[in-house]
Amino acid sequence: MDGGKAVMSEKTEISIWFFCGILMLAYGVVLIATGIMEFNHPPANEVLLPFLKELHPTLWWGVFLTAVGGFYSVVFRPGKQ
Amino acid sequence: MHAVATLALWMDGRQLTKLAPVDILILVLYFVLVVFVGFYAKGKANTSEDFFLAGREMTAWIAGLSFVSANLGSLELMGWAGAAYQYGILAAHWYWIGAIPAMLFLGIVMMPFYYISKTHSVPGYLQLRFGEGARALSAVSFAIMTILMSGVNMYAMAVVMQTVLGWNITFSIWVGAGTVALYVMLGGLRSAIINEVLQFVLIWAGAALIPILGLIEAGGWTNLKAQIATNLGSSDYTHMWTTLGSFKDNPMGVHWTGIVFGLGFVISFGYWTTDFLVVQRVLSANNLRAAKMAPVIGAAFKMAVPFIVILPGLLALAVLKNPDGSTMHLVAGSVAKATGQHAYDEVLPLMLIRYCGPGLLGLGITALVAGFMSGMAGNVSAFSTVWTYDIYGAFFNKTASDKHYVAMGRWSTVIGMLVSIGTAYLVMNASSIMDYVQALFSFFIAPLFGTVILGMLWKRATKAGGFWGLLAGTAASIGMWAWVQRSPDALRFIALSPNAQSMAENLYRALWSWLICVVVTVVVSLVTKATPIAELSGLVYGATPIPDDGATTLWQKPLFWACVVITVFFVLNLIFW
Repeated sequence: MDGGKAVMSEKTEISIWFFCGILMLAYGVVLIATGIMEFNHPPANEVLLPFLKELHPTLWWGVFLTAVGGFYSVVFRPGKQ
Repeated sequence: MHAVATLALWMDGRQLTKLAPVDILILVLYFVLVVFVGFYAKGKANTSEDFFLAGREMTAWIAGLSFVSANLGSLELMGWAGAAYQYGILAAHWYWIGAIPAMLFLGIVMMPFYYISKTHSVPGYLQLRFGEGARALSAVSFAIMTILMSGVNMYAMAVVMQTVLGWNITFSIWVGAGTVALYVMLGGLRSAIINEVLQFVLIWAGAALIPILGLIEAGGWTNLKAQIATNLGSSDYTHMWTTLGSFKDNPMGVHWTGIVFGLGFVISFGYWTTDFLVVQRVLSANNLRAAKMAPVIGAAFKMAVPFIVILPGLLALAVLKNPDGSTMHLVAGSVAKATGQHAYDEVLPLMLIRYCGPGLLGLGITALVAGFMSGMAGNVSAFSTVWTYDIYGAFFNKTASDKHYVAMGRWSTVIGMLVSIGTAYLVMNASSIMDYVQALFSFFIAPLFGTVILGMLWKRATKAGGFWGLLAGTAASIGMWAWVQRSPDALRFIALSPNAQSMAENLYRALWSWLICVVVTVVVSLVTKATPIAELSGLVYGATPIPDDGATTLWQKPLFWACVVITVFFVLNLIFW
């Protein structure tokens, strides 16, 4: 996608996609850690709705965000042409 | 059972839930990055072109996502989720027929004129086409509307924070407004656009789990429809078109003519093609092809937004339960205040709390905050541009230096935000956020679309015609609104049916005001002296050679992708017919 190019003037350059990636990566890591801790201590809503407990949404959403965020952080890292 | 009891306690209390430390960490990370972006973009905002149009350096993808994100404010997230609960899938019309055709029309037909005229704003285009009178009228009405809209966003955010987390309304308003003012003041449109793209991604990351988990709980779309039909005793809530043959047959009290002509044509085209808040994002594109592609890309993403806004509202009709297991019934805000029940507009937070534990809850709340801040930033950056270029620079100080205008842009950002804060406190007395916003749309946007579209497509339209048409349309809209406020029975005349409800009034008021604008513009133009063709070059279809956009392959052509998007649009309408 053409948005991959740094969008600032020639001296910049942090791509917008890098900002998106790094935020998603940070959130993904936080969610993975939270999801692992919740394995044996499910939160209130998962006790109320047992199907959630089986799905581990926090952990898997964390994995998804880490993968997407990590990809964008690497591909659009500052200094990469 | 302790956890269940705790959850029930939250649901019964004044606040719905509370944030865990991990939720606060997620929220803080977002605010830190947003402010960092503001300081980062400050070094790139030295000239007025940089500050107000992001240097016209944005790619089609970035301009397109920003174009959609600027519209993802309180109206989108809270209001339409609540509307979906109240009116069913009819609310999706505001995303599909109420957006997609207009966005594509902007990209394919109108963008070349905006772009090659090198205008910095929509009022700026009106000045080139119709002179200073039309610009002044448009700029002043736009400035008022954006400030009011920004106030609406602020108030909505504060209410969410109070309802969900028990936060003080004043605290939420000032923290949200202060952050937005800081990053827009520092980096101008560039900062706003970076944050809008960031916010768009975050909104999806935070909100997409609600419909996914909701559909799993409901057992899929077919089961969801069956449950809604059982709970409400009607299948009208899951059909988009079959119930629109009569005002009486659908929960919204509208007729298909109002949806197609009032919403799909006038309101939608007015908003997406002439509201500078969204058009400004596309003007930042780095070339003509990017400017044409940006609305097409925006339209593709816009079609997907009902998944995270409308579907949660529908899911709530089927799955939301009281602590005792009975079906929960949400009510209008005014009733909720009296009875202690939850209001329609609370449906999204309620669904968020239902499915999201610590961490995910923080992400969802951050997504809501991001959506609100995106809306505020869009309004304040557009206000700053129109104030500086089309009011201050046009009527108060025409000869100042570029540096002076950048400084004025920064100051007007701060002052605009302060006025918005005042508006937010005023909005607290409005009965419904949705009605308020709809009223604003039809005051200004519908007539403005009449003026702009005639200006772009009809060479014979004159300066006097443009000005008087715009004035008459706006005055008629305000007059009809005041008429219904004073005498609610007047609605039957405006919507042409005694069965029409308030939403229909907005649609037909927009339609009438647009028609009045068009008729007055045409009549006045025909009795005044035509503008020489030479003066219309670059501004009007038929008097302007459209430059080649540089596309060489089918995949690069905006028209091809517009055809793809409109095909998907028709398919979606047929699926949910």
